[in-house]
Amino acid sequence: MAASQFPDSGEHASDSSGCHVEVTVADSSQATPPRQTHPASDTLDSVRKGDERPSRLSRSFAKVLRKNQDYIRITIPVTRLDRLPPEWWKTGLVFMWAGFNLFCTTVMITVVNDRVPNKSENPPLPDKFFDYIPRQEWAFKVTEVNGMILVTAWFFQWLFLKHRSIVGRRFFFLMGTLYLYRMVTMYITTLPVPSMHMNCAPKLDGDSIGMVHRVLQLLSGGGLTITGSHMMCGDFLYSGHTVMLTLTFLFIREYSPRSLWWYHLICWLLSAVGVVFILVAHEHYSVDVVVAYFITSRLFWWYHTMANNQSLRDSPHNYLNRVWWSYFFRFMERNVRSTVPCTFSWPVQPPTACFKMPCGRYSIVQSIREE
Amino acid sequence: MKEVGLWSVEEVSEWLVDQGMTEYSEALRNVDGRALLQLSESDFRSPPLSRVTGDNGHQLLERVETLRIANHMEVHKNGKHGSSHHTNGHVSITIGNGAISNGKIRNVEPKNGFHSEPVQIHIPLPPEHERTSFPTEWSKTGVAFLYAVCCFVTTSVVISVVHERVPTKEESPPLPDKFFDVFDRVQWAFSICEINGMLLVSMWLIQWLLLKHRAIVGRRFFFIVGTLYLYRCVTMYVTTLPVPGMHFKCSPKLVGNYEAQLWRILKMISGGGLSITGSHSMCGDYLYSGHTVMLTLTYLFIKEYSPRRFWWYHCFCLGLSAVGIFFILLAHDHYTVDVVVAYFITTRLFWWYHTMANQQILKQKSQGNTFSRVWWFFLFQYFEQNVQGIVPRNYQLPLPLPFLWRVLPGSRVVYSRLDSH
Repeated sequence: MAASQFPDSGEHASDSSGCHVEVTVADSSQATPPRQTHPASDTLDSVRKGDERPSRLSRSFAKVLRKNQDYIRITIPVTRLDRLPPEWWKTGLVFMWAGFNLFCTTVMITVVNDRVPNKSENPPLPDKFFDYIPRQEWAFKVTEVNGMILVTAWFFQWLFLKHRSIVGRRFFFLMGTLYLYRMVTMYITTLPVPSMHMNCAPKLDGDSIGMVHRVLQLLSGGGLTITGSHMMCGDFLYSGHTVMLTLTFLFIREYSPRSLWWYHLICWLLSAVGVVFILVAHEHYSVDVVVAYFITSRLFWWYHTMANNQSLRDSPHNYLNRVWWSYFFRFMERNVRSTVPCTFSWPVQPPTACFKMPCGRYSIVQSIREE
Repeated sequence: MKEVGLWSVEEVSEWLVDQGMTEYSEALRNVDGRALLQLSESDFRSPPLSRVTGDNGHQLLERVETLRIANHMEVHKNGKHGSSHHTNGHVSITIGNGAISNGKIRNVEPKNGFHSEPVQIHIPLPPEHERTSFPTEWSKTGVAFLYAVCCFVTTSVVISVVHERVPTKEESPPLPDKFFDVFDRVQWAFSICEINGMLLVSMWLIQWLLLKHRAIVGRRFFFIVGTLYLYRCVTMYVTTLPVPGMHFKCSPKLVGNYEAQLWRILKMISGGGLSITGSHSMCGDYLYSGHTVMLTLTYLFIKEYSPRRFWWYHCFCLGLSAVGIFFILLAHDHYTVDVVVAYFITTRLFWWYHTMANQQILKQKSQGNTFSRVWWFFLFQYFEQNVQGIVPRNYQLPLPLPFLWRVLPGSRVVYSRLDSH
């Protein structure tokens, strides 16, 4: 039994912020030297083992020391907890960016609709896929149904992710940027309708109220033909449906456990079938689909490589920083210090949790103490 | 050293004295070299040797054994050394020429201090990729060059095929394009664009010749150019856009006449695909623009592999490139979307490739390395496997011109002789 015993067994003070800890711990099972100031909670366990049995002199010495003992306060910067901070306000900003881009795209489609040449003037362009596969009417419905399934699946998956704010931020940013690029390509050159079956809404020629109506109609239907909202032509290069199908699949695969291979396979099938059926329905040219797939996948991989490799961010030889959106990227991912792990949690905490919290803290401290 | 078997009696006793074993000189005074080699333990058990030996002749026998080995090796040696080398036991090392052979000891130095030939130890030269961070590997550059050539030929074939499918101006007038609405056509603009392109390509060629690591850089250029033209084949083929302007004069279609089509393809390749050489009179290769690809790519490479302080050079090339691209549109020779898509794909591919090449962690397939999911990753690995680190911008004359040695004394430093040895 160690002679130098501190009757209180030390103080365990941990502030509410968890920042700094002043700890003195005496383990009664071990003989400890008289003066003890343990540096950090991590190294609490490294109690020096003294073998000698303190004598009465040292005991009184220890008492004196204890009275004048200075507690050395060591501030531990908060590192472990904040490697993946939620920062919902950033997610909100990016959501607005995506919403804004979607809105602008809708306006652009309405504008471009006026510039689409007539079917009689500019017949559909020759397309290799259309030469081989004749049009099937029901195919586009399948595409849109697939798209809706994928979006719903992704939404639920996102809801159960633990770091949903970070992942949501990424999704909105990529979607917004892809739609921005789409605006540009739609506007500068207008392709004719891919197939004679398409009935475009009549041209408005500057009727702004009519345009506003159309924009609202398109937005409310989500841009889908199946809801009857999309009667306008001209948004061919590149295909927004392909973007959504590809992007949701990439996100689903990236942020779900690797072991769920059947889930990935199903989503991949949904996505691939959806994309092919766009062409089968003669709703887009092949080049629209190819370019859309290319841009979506490259942008996704680019962004995630930049985000997952910390060493790239500071490296001067990182050419990825030459993209125009690198500033936005830094803004969003500045505090994300590691790869987002694939962990899931309930979206809403059950109410008993808030009673657990104070005890939880103590229990952590206690368990350290008992070690 | 004379062969032990040929030693005379005097030489044997001399050797005994040398070894400090004079006690045996009397007993072995009639022993010559060959007999010495045949001494065995049994000889030491009978007189006269048993009288003089203290340890049953073990020490002497050991020395004789050493002599025997030396003698054996001497007999079987295949070197060209003379017989009287007093080299005092230093070792010379010869380095083989990359052949991996085990180290061979030619001559062992006998323990008694006998002077023999120097020891030669073969150290095989490590393969090139272990010796330097930037191995040359011209074979890989050759592969990349072939790849680029294949892609160029495929592009020409596809252009020829697509030409047959281009709708005529009457049935499919030019599509509405924002740039064309704003700017009217300027006739001479396309020639300027092509001249710019040729200037940029020749400047890049000269710069490339002056680079020290031209094999590695050439490999990269060929690979990127080849891949871009391959992508272009795909986009050109799947959907055919109509001609952008009524001024176009497309050569007549040759449906079914394969021989004439072949001639057309060859003519295009020989002219480099430029209109200014008259080789490119075919239509249909609009999405995306090959001229933009070359202008952008040569500028990116020029900027990347030239010293940073040559800002005026970079500005000049940027000017050439930008003006060239603008004039493509001004001449109404491509749609705006062709140029935009071409610029986008070129820059992204260039930056993607170079980022992967410059970071060691991105050269392996891993979960965090999403860059490795591109289809050409295995080709990339093949090309860039042995390149460790960022290729420095060092310059070197392509051929060692001898007269320059006198003109530029600093260019042939003594150290360089050691390096090339």
